[in-house]
Amino acid sequence: MSEITLIIDGIECSGAKGDTVLQVARKNDIYIPTLCWLKGLTPIGSCRMCVVEEARSSKFLTACTTPAENGMNVSTKTERLFNYRRQILELLFAGRNHFCMFCSQTGDCELQRLAIEHGMDSVRYPFLYDTFHNDASDPNIQIDHNRCILCLRCIRVCAEKVGAHTLGLEKRGWGTNVTSDLGVMLGESDTCVTCGACAQVCPTGTITLRDFVYRGRRNDCDDVVESICPLCPVGCRIKAYVRTGSIVRVEGVSADSPDGGQLCHMGRWWLPKSTERERLATPMIRTGSSFREASWEEAFDLIASRLTDALELDRAGALVSELSTDEELTAISSFFRDTLKLNKLDGFYGNALRNLVKGFEPFVGQGVRPFTAANNILESDAILMLEAEPQDEAPVVASYIRVATVINGAKLINLSSGRTPLETIADIDIRTEDKGLFALINSLRAAISGSSKDVPLEVQQAAEMLRNAKKPVVVIGSKLTEQGYPFVTEAVNLAIETKAFFDDGIGIVPVTRASNGLGALNTVTGEDDWMSGGRLEFLYVLSTGMIPEDKRALSAMNRAGFVVVHTAFTVHPLVNMADVLLPAPAWFERSGHYCTLEGERRRMNMITSPAGNIKGLSVVMKELADRIGLELQRASAVPCEDIFEAVAPSGRARTVACSPESAVKTASFNEGVRR
Amino acid sequence: MSKPKIASVWLEACAGCHMSFLDIDERIVDLLGKVELTATPITDIKTFPEVDVGVVEGGLGNEEELHLAKELRERCKILIAWGDCAVFGGINCMRNFMPVEQVLKEGFVETVSTVNPERVIPRVDIPALLPQALPLDRAVKVDVYVPGCPPDADTILYIFSEILEGRLPSVPTDIMRYD
Repeated sequence: MSEITLIIDGIECSGAKGDTVLQVARKNDIYIPTLCWLKGLTPIGSCRMCVVEEARSSKFLTACTTPAENGMNVSTKTERLFNYRRQILELLFAGRNHFCMFCSQTGDCELQRLAIEHGMDSVRYPFLYDTFHNDASDPNIQIDHNRCILCLRCIRVCAEKVGAHTLGLEKRGWGTNVTSDLGVMLGESDTCVTCGACAQVCPTGTITLRDFVYRGRRNDCDDVVESICPLCPVGCRIKAYVRTGSIVRVEGVSADSPDGGQLCHMGRWWLPKSTERERLATPMIRTGSSFREASWEEAFDLIASRLTDALELDRAGALVSELSTDEELTAISSFFRDTLKLNKLDGFYGNALRNLVKGFEPFVGQGVRPFTAANNILESDAILMLEAEPQDEAPVVASYIRVATVINGAKLINLSSGRTPLETIADIDIRTEDKGLFALINSLRAAISGSSKDVPLEVQQAAEMLRNAKKPVVVIGSKLTEQGYPFVTEAVNLAIETKAFFDDGIGIVPVTRASNGLGALNTVTGEDDWMSGGRLEFLYVLSTGMIPEDKRALSAMNRAGFVVVHTAFTVHPLVNMADVLLPAPAWFERSGHYCTLEGERRRMNMITSPAGNIKGLSVVMKELADRIGLELQRASAVPCEDIFEAVAPSGRARTVACSPESAVKTASFNEGVRR
Repeated sequence: MSKPKIASVWLEACAGCHMSFLDIDERIVDLLGKVELTATPITDIKTFPEVDVGVVEGGLGNEEELHLAKELRERCKILIAWGDCAVFGGINCMRNFMPVEQVLKEGFVETVSTVNPERVIPRVDIPALLPQALPLDRAVKVDVYVPGCPPDADTILYIFSEILEGRLPSVPTDIMRYD
């Protein structure tokens, strides 16, 4: 990239070829006001706030869309420009109904900020007082078109980052309006995924989120904490705004990052709403159908005695949420695995994770690094979904798939037993019964390798697409991994057959809700599934209370003789099954690390300080060990470590034989290429 | 030289701007040493003498307010529009989205809390509504605009002290507000 030099406001500025005037100005710390422009979105130059003068041009140029050229002489701050910009602002105020005194966004509003910046103390144009509707049909998002300035940021983010293409424009001239799904109310939209990205980018009070309005402007908040969303393994970065000890707003970080600064509905709403849930403040012990408050000592004594009894009978178990941080998982495994040598230790998503690792084993043996970053889907030109429901499990992955498919023109192939919202944009959509899934994947693989011509036409077409793709990626859902490790092996085989190799690993993106599943794998995930087995006398459960538990875990708890639930919230199905409740810090009161699915360690920061009579997890484990009379051992496994030791796969990666019935014979893999 | 005279009037507005003026607290003593307050809602003098500075809080909603605004304009040298209602129209503009007849019906008959079994809409006793609520400068020339709902006491004081210094001020951007 060659460097160019131009003069902006008399200062010699350098930029890269291809930069716009605005980009060069920003790089050189020269401020140009903008309104419709937003970093990360396609610039459209519609608001005209960023106009600049150029010596050789008789026209005003919009800095956000004008490419910078060598030798330009740009002025950004002349009186003419200032008056012109103020005139635009006055017209925007006159055009629709901007009444700051009763708008929830006053103080946070970019339109207001710019008007004040330009000394707009009156409006010289007649106010139109035209009536636009206020779309309050969506339970979460409100669109008051009276405050819209048609900057089209919402439309662009909805299309370019979320890929939903829900929002668009209707009508012409004065009546131009943002609309959803070609003219229905937002609440009736089929395509809206309720991610709230439109509200995050809205510069005025047009699109607002009901849960966040009137709870504090951004600049009134006491604290803004950057952290990560703990609800799925994509690990989106979040900004949490804190006011008087509550989280009043959660936002994505930047439209510039690969994830586009987006969050899904879980991050946007589940996170802040959880701060209002009733908290478990102190240990509780069951008396009949209700609980009584107890001291930690009393709770520890009771738990230790029941645990000792159960250990003698070998009927003690522990069930740990994979939404826990690496540090918490280490504390758990140091007590249950390394001190008690408990074999009945598992996570809620144990089956899926076990199969994922076991299915990958032969390839890791070859030195192949598993998984690629989810945002690499955006680079892909053919996406194969295997029994995946990303919109349900990791919605941002669904955004990547939509953007890759609809905007970047990637092919989308869906193989599933049920329906998925993404089927509408799939190029090839193949349904099968549960039982036929393995055979279907197998036949697709055979069709790709050319070893079998005897496959259905659509499988043949899918194979053709994958064979021609330069960067295919395979998205596998937890419904697939739960069915057995051969499914995973076969999915990886498919990836190798299509040469789905990325710089950071093989082109497999597993979607699951186990946000720190990779951290859980070598710390708490058990050797095999004991949950469906017999009755336990003691069961310890650590839950964040953020994601509903599945039936399998609930029935294991139902069958246990004595259940300790360590959690943050009181309203929670697990609480009804508990004999002892221990208070835990909620997600916003914890700090630690999460391992994203591509193996990146991301830090979760404490947002508000812990409330109630809470003890740290390692203290709880230590106290229990002391009472049982054992010394707490150091954890032998480090979360997430040896899973990613291998290197990014090359074309030398080999497929392996596998079938759903027989276990994979590891001997044959040793012949594969090893480093 | 005699002290400059100030008259102020409260038109279609909530009195918040005058309240905000009183928020200058003890500094009012200093100010009263330099200016003479004549007809204001605070002094409760109703007729405007010839003054140096006229201050208008509120927009124009009916014929009486229009008349008062014109009268004050004629009798003052500098006219200040105080607050969002006078500057932009403010909250009064909410009625601009419906015809006057409907406004009267909503206000005097259909409001849930109104007891008016005869459904009488007063016509003679109250000033007639203008077709739309307007910012002050749609009817008279305004010299100084002070937006804010209400403008801060400091902003109001700043404007007065600038005028006393013989300047025609505008609100600096660092203290300007619309809410």
